[in-house]
Amino acid sequence: MDSTALARLRETQNADGGWGYFPGKQSWLEPTVYAAAALKGESAADRAWALLKTWQGADGGWKPAANVPLPGWGTSLCVSLAQSRGDFGEPFQQGVEWLVGTREMRPPLWQRALFRTGQFGEYRDFSIDGWPWRDGQVSWVEPNVHGIVALRQASLKQTSAKLEDRVRMAQAQLIESRCPDFGWNYGRSRTLGYALVAFEETTGLALIGLQGHADLEKSLALAETMARGTVSPLARAWLTIALKLHGREVPQSQGRIAATPEITVLALGALAEHYPEFFRMGAAATT
Amino acid sequence: MTPNRREFLAVAGASLVAGYAGFNGATPRRKGPPISSAVAIVKAKSYSDDLVSRILQGVKECGLDIIGQRVLLKPNLVEYDETTCINTDVAVVAAALEAFRSLGAADVKIGEGPGHRRDTYAIAELTRYRKEIPGFDAVFTDLNRDDVSPVRKFLERDEFFFPNTALRADLIVSLAKMKTHHWAGATLSMKNFFGLVPGSIYGWPKNELHQLGIDESIVELNRVFRNTFAIVDGIVGMEGNGPIQGAPKSVGALVMGSDLAAVDATCCRIMGIDPLRVGHLTGAFEQGLGAIEEARIEQRGEAIRSVASNFELIKSKKYLRLA
Repeated sequence: MDSTALARLRETQNADGGWGYFPGKQSWLEPTVYAAAALKGESAADRAWALLKTWQGADGGWKPAANVPLPGWGTSLCVSLAQSRGDFGEPFQQGVEWLVGTREMRPPLWQRALFRTGQFGEYRDFSIDGWPWRDGQVSWVEPNVHGIVALRQASLKQTSAKLEDRVRMAQAQLIESRCPDFGWNYGRSRTLGYALVAFEETTGLALIGLQGHADLEKSLALAETMARGTVSPLARAWLTIALKLHGREVPQSQGRIAATPEITVLALGALAEHYPEFFRMGAAATT
Repeated sequence: MTPNRREFLAVAGASLVAGYAGFNGATPRRKGPPISSAVAIVKAKSYSDDLVSRILQGVKECGLDIIGQRVLLKPNLVEYDETTCINTDVAVVAAALEAFRSLGAADVKIGEGPGHRRDTYAIAELTRYRKEIPGFDAVFTDLNRDDVSPVRKFLERDEFFFPNTALRADLIVSLAKMKTHHWAGATLSMKNFFGLVPGSIYGWPKNELHQLGIDESIVELNRVFRNTFAIVDGIVGMEGNGPIQGAPKSVGALVMGSDLAAVDATCCRIMGIDPLRVGHLTGAFEQGLGAIEEARIEQRGEAIRSVASNFELIKSKKYLRLA
């Protein structure tokens, strides 16, 4: 991996074993998972995993930080991290069960009917569940994708009809929310009847959640264009991971990638470069 | 976005709008004694005007004293589209930074937690914040990823988390953009506080606030954060399908004041929107958070009529038009 990025990750690890979003700040789940994945095999990653395991609640869900007792989407990241470490013990199993058991918010029946028929200016089928940022909310592309990846990876060890059904529904939701330009906004293709345009980072993410799907050529072509032109290192990382997982060449960046002090982006950049397999939905996830 | 009941009804049928969008034809009732507030309107034709002087003029008109205070400037930084004007212009933010420093603040920081895009620093790059605000990275805090602390009771939640940078500021200056909003009617200095909610916990977009009720959440955020001042960038605002897909609308004014509800009510009148029909403004009024009646707002600087110009409204918001 990029030795500069990895060195920076090593020197910014907090004493508790986690990473903040920025150096010197409190530890959060998201940067900790990505940094631990990038430093796989090192003692720093072991310390991170030891910390993360203390953040899992009795119900199996993971809270995002030590002082925030609200389990949520980070559970998917921890399940993926457990698998990449080959740790299929209780934290992994309970995390999988939590993900399978979470539900989206259910609007009243009459609202669901109007959404289903597009009367609200956007189509939405609330009979299918994706993953929200927090349990009981509505789903969005990013948490949905991480739920898909985690459970698809988990299905190699701990499968069930319910798990398979959740992944199928979540992927259907991704397809349903694709924008007219063949990319993805943060979760909807329309609001109040107005078409939304694709974002770079969520387009990359959605393609990661749709590994193995057919009919993605136009989306992949858009992702290549975005990867070439983006100034966002975060978007560049997600698009690179997506293109690599789909077996595509990653085009050279033509834009000036903005500098960032953010640890998450640093770690994802390292993963994009050398370990996109962390997000692969298949046997390679544990290699 | 998935709407709550009020928002849903507001677009589901015009006949239902009046009853559920905060307007029932009657004057809203207020808790507590009447409030009178000063609001300054300062003309600025373009972003190349001397905005530091304009801001200092507005602050003086409103009698704000910030000596020794820790000030947080909170711009509206959402996402970037070069064809329109979504965000508080960098010139306004840079001028505010210079102006508040010159007024003797102990510390002036800039903080924002964009509601849509994950890469805050990339948006700051595209909007030229990092290029044109001296030492931007050193004074900026990404409020989506800051360290957090809980606040007890936020609407139906027992506790709600906010960035420490916002909780520890003595004064938060809402550097908002004058825009229409397809859910809230208008997004001005009060709605701008959605950016104080950390995405690291509540996600992108901050849809949990929609489920709690957009208007209710706006009012609640302004109940939690009371030491505030507003500077609304109306030099070029946004009309039509705001807050993202609307069209630029030149007004040529900055609107300022310590009472955010009064500032926003004044902005609404400039935009041709009736503030008594905007749910979060009537909500703020009813809770005694600010003045929204024209008679209770002491207008300083320029008159409303000298800068007023109707903003285009989308179909579902036409009922907001000021008579």
